[in-house]
Amino acid sequence: MNIRLDNLTVNFDDRFQLDEINWQLDDSQHWVITGANGAGKSALAAILAGAGESVAGSITGLPAKVGLVSFEAQAELIERERKKDDADIMDVIAEGTPVHEILHEGSRNPALIQQLVSMFKLEPLLERAFRKLSTGESRKVMLIRALASEPELLVLDEPFDGLDAHTLEMLQQYLHGLVETVPMVLVLNRFDEFPDFITHIAYVDQARLQHQIDCNDQQAYNDLYQLLHLKTTDLQVPAADPDTAIPKLDPTQPLVQLNKINITYDGQRIIDSLDWTIQPNQHWQLSGPNGSGKTGLLSLITGDHPQCYVNDIFVFGFQRGNGESIWQIKQFIGYVSTALQWEYKVGTGLRNVIISGFYDSIGLYTKATDRQKKIADEWLALLGMTDRADTPFNKLSYGDQRLLLIARAMVKHPPLLILDEPCLGLDDMNRQLVLALIEKICAGSETSVLYVNHHAEDKINGIDNYLTLEKRESNNH
Amino acid sequence: MSNNYFNTLPLREQLEQLGKCRFMSIEEFSDGVEALKGKKMVVIGCGAQGLAQGMNLRDSGCDVSYALREAAIAEKRQSWKNATENGFVVGTYEELIPTADVVLNLTPDKQHTPVVNAVMPLMKEGACLSYSHGFNIVEEGMKIREDLTVIMVAPKCPGSEVRNEYVRGFGVPTLIAVHEDNDPKGEGLALAKAYAAGTGGHKAGVLMSSFIAEVKSDLMGEQTILCGMLQTGSLLCFDKMVEEGIDPGYASKLIQYGWETVTEALKYGGVTNMLDRLSNPAKIKAFDLSEELKQIMRPLYNKHQDDIIDGTFSRTMMEDWANDDKNLLGWRAETAETAFEKTPAGDVEISEQEYFDNGILMVAMVKAGVELAFETMTAAGIIADSAYYESLHETPLIANTIARKKLYEMNATISDTAEYGCYLYNHACLPLLADFMKDIKTDVIGKGLELDDTGVDNARLIEVNAALRAHPVEAIGSVLRGHMADMKKIV
Ligand SMILES: NC(=O)c1ccc[n+]([C@@H]2O[C@H](COP(=O)([O-])OP(=O)(O)OC[C@H]3O[C@@H](n4cnc5c(N)ncnc54)[C@H](OP(=O)(O)O)[C@@H]3O)[C@@H](O)[C@H]2O)c1
Repeated sequence: MNIRLDNLTVNFDDRFQLDEINWQLDDSQHWVITGANGAGKSALAAILAGAGESVAGSITGLPAKVGLVSFEAQAELIERERKKDDADIMDVIAEGTPVHEILHEGSRNPALIQQLVSMFKLEPLLERAFRKLSTGESRKVMLIRALASEPELLVLDEPFDGLDAHTLEMLQQYLHGLVETVPMVLVLNRFDEFPDFITHIAYVDQARLQHQIDCNDQQAYNDLYQLLHLKTTDLQVPAADPDTAIPKLDPTQPLVQLNKINITYDGQRIIDSLDWTIQPNQHWQLSGPNGSGKTGLLSLITGDHPQCYVNDIFVFGFQRGNGESIWQIKQFIGYVSTALQWEYKVGTGLRNVIISGFYDSIGLYTKATDRQKKIADEWLALLGMTDRADTPFNKLSYGDQRLLLIARAMVKHPPLLILDEPCLGLDDMNRQLVLALIEKICAGSETSVLYVNHHAEDKINGIDNYLTLEKRESNNH
Repeated sequence: MSNNYFNTLPLREQLEQLGKCRFMSIEEFSDGVEALKGKKMVVIGCGAQGLAQGMNLRDSGCDVSYALREAAIAEKRQSWKNATENGFVVGTYEELIPTADVVLNLTPDKQHTPVVNAVMPLMKEGACLSYSHGFNIVEEGMKIREDLTVIMVAPKCPGSEVRNEYVRGFGVPTLIAVHEDNDPKGEGLALAKAYAAGTGGHKAGVLMSSFIAEVKSDLMGEQTILCGMLQTGSLLCFDKMVEEGIDPGYASKLIQYGWETVTEALKYGGVTNMLDRLSNPAKIKAFDLSEELKQIMRPLYNKHQDDIIDGTFSRTMMEDWANDDKNLLGWRAETAETAFEKTPAGDVEISEQEYFDNGILMVAMVKAGVELAFETMTAAGIIADSAYYESLHETPLIANTIARKKLYEMNATISDTAEYGCYLYNHACLPLLADFMKDIKTDVIGKGLELDDTGVDNARLIEVNAALRAHPVEAIGSVLRGHMADMKKIV
């Protein structure tokens, strides 16, 4: 068997369309298809059993005998049975097709059926009408039908759902026994359900096959785990720490007000007479090409730019340059950037990196309270990094570091969260991870997000104010 | 000619001043920079310390501006650029000094006498003059107007670290002192504390000391273990490896980055941890070598300390200043011509552990130097805390400069005073270790022990481990490193 999907676009009753799928599966592989609800996992699986209408691209190599178990297939069979009843309604009170008939429909191997029936303890139900079964019972019938059909490819969509513990274990063992003879594609939602014989993972999002991963690639496997975790869990942003609460701001005042700002390097003006006001609860996107002064502008706000002392800057109730300290300013800001990540070349453990966000420090120089540790652990759980609480920060992958720094920035629930090109240098999967986390934050808290990206089109849901900087031609001042 | 202040004091007071040192608790800094609020701070000089301290103080809410000499402003020198590009007000002495409540003298020590003589008449009645090193007061006996308060706030790190650590939300260990002859209003300590807090030093630990203890320990540390030992060790180890047929590129790299790597272990866990990074047989070897080195070098360390205490060192150095730095410049040129300096690090991979395994002698030299400097200082009456900062604590910082650009970079970064002392040490130490080096082979420098059997005698290992841990620099080190909270976690 060697199935090939090339740029395949498949339409499902005009309700749903899977786009431009490129995928190859062969005999030696066992796949899991995973993704968030509504992403198109089941549709992708169903294609392998011939479902949907191909509108572009090609699919080749599909085996003749595919054993498919899915809620859709189950619903279809029940529907068929119901229609039969309707047809018969005139003469007898129909009982519908009994289970044993349904089982023998697709298989010429009665011995195998019998074996499976006894494994699934289905003997008492053999005479019962299929449509009278409970969902769990009819699911077992579907499974037996598929397994007994001696398929060349098994496609099982959420096969473990709703099975009791005993049946689940039995089924898993049985599948293990098939590993050498039948290639399998399972649709599964939870990583902990992935059987260990799985060799590859397909990740579906927004009706596309977004990632294909070889399970031997540990890093990719971890990243995908986290992505799925963020996409599929109902995330609650952990609470702030009441002991290190940020002072209350006057809600009628802007968070940031820059008046006629200039930034000059070597006599060359990068930002010229710019006005910008950020009100509480506004989300902003700042864009502009490299060299347009985005980072400079941000560091005027954070107080990291020495020229903040020669500009008219009002931030968080302070008119800059009047005896305030930068720590009084920084307490209101969560900040993430590539530069911070480079700076943060520390061996501090992950939990402490998050806690350092309470102190705006790089590294932790203060003894953390129990409450802070608890909050940090909640963040780690949210990121799916609980088991790595004491791993040194510099041992993390680049993408994980970024996620962790976002958590560090958010841990104190700052009024302003600045994300300076948070996706820079990240591969596609990590980009999606970071964006998923940011969207959660935008949606669920009192923090204003200032998102910086040099692609104006890379948008985040929930952001509706835009400032775009142009690169200034040199020496026009 | 100047008048050595220390030598004018009676013995009783000399000893009292040398023994002045108290580790302050963070609670003593709860007022932060309050004592400096509303005061105008004017920094003279905008070099390594001047820029870093000024930026930190400003970011802590202090009012900071820079007074530069006229030539620096007119020629738009680096110091002028440093200050203006960072948005500071810059002016001449005449423009700024009369407005200053605190004048921070951050010019090179060698220039202090002319600089202070120029600014003192311009200073406001009752203002404060501060230093980051006490050389001018202690060794040159500079007399400051009686109405002025004189303090010292001395970060125990190069300027770049002073700034970087502040930006991380931390600070560098700092020594403060009040010149008792000049504390007319009794506000010296409050000002010094606020200044230390403004630079972030209070977060990493502040020692309350005296001008005298600071100078005598600072000079001792920098010329012996910190710069002298690393320079001498670099030259000896390199020449030995090349002589034994080791690839010069490899030898150059092993030394250039080796000091940094082995002293990194020192920074985290003291001498004990540095030796614990070696295999058991190598550890015993390093221990034995260092015992031998200590015995050979002890008289040299004593001589350095004696010359520093009685003023001989500063007198000879000032004679060289008066003689257009003939010695200093000559030695500097000589160092640039050494084989180590001229051989670029080879393009070879050396793992972190390999620096230890193949650099047993370097580990032994660091251990011997740190312990000797510490022992000599404390024997001279300097308190252990101070001696720790001036020996062990600063060694990794200096080692970093060698990793950047070898001895050239080290000597460019350190003060002229340190550089002068370093050459003195180097010239005395090279011949002193000549015999010792004759017996050295590549097993302790360059190749490692290459043993098939790494077994050792239990009793001997226990003895060595106990001796390592029992050294007084280890006891004080673990206390002070503990104060630096999670310092161990930052790199
Ligand atoms: N470096 C360290 O690790 C360290 C650590 C602790 C304490 N300290 C102490 O900090 C002080 C400053 O040392 P540093 O290393 O920062 O010095 P530096 O980098 O050499 O800077 C000295 C500054 O003073 C200016 N200057 C030089 N000669 C001058 C003169 N005759 N009159 C006026 N200004 C002059 C220079 O600017 P122009 O030449 O442009 O005028 C330069 O900006 C010293 O007392 C030193 O002992 C240093």
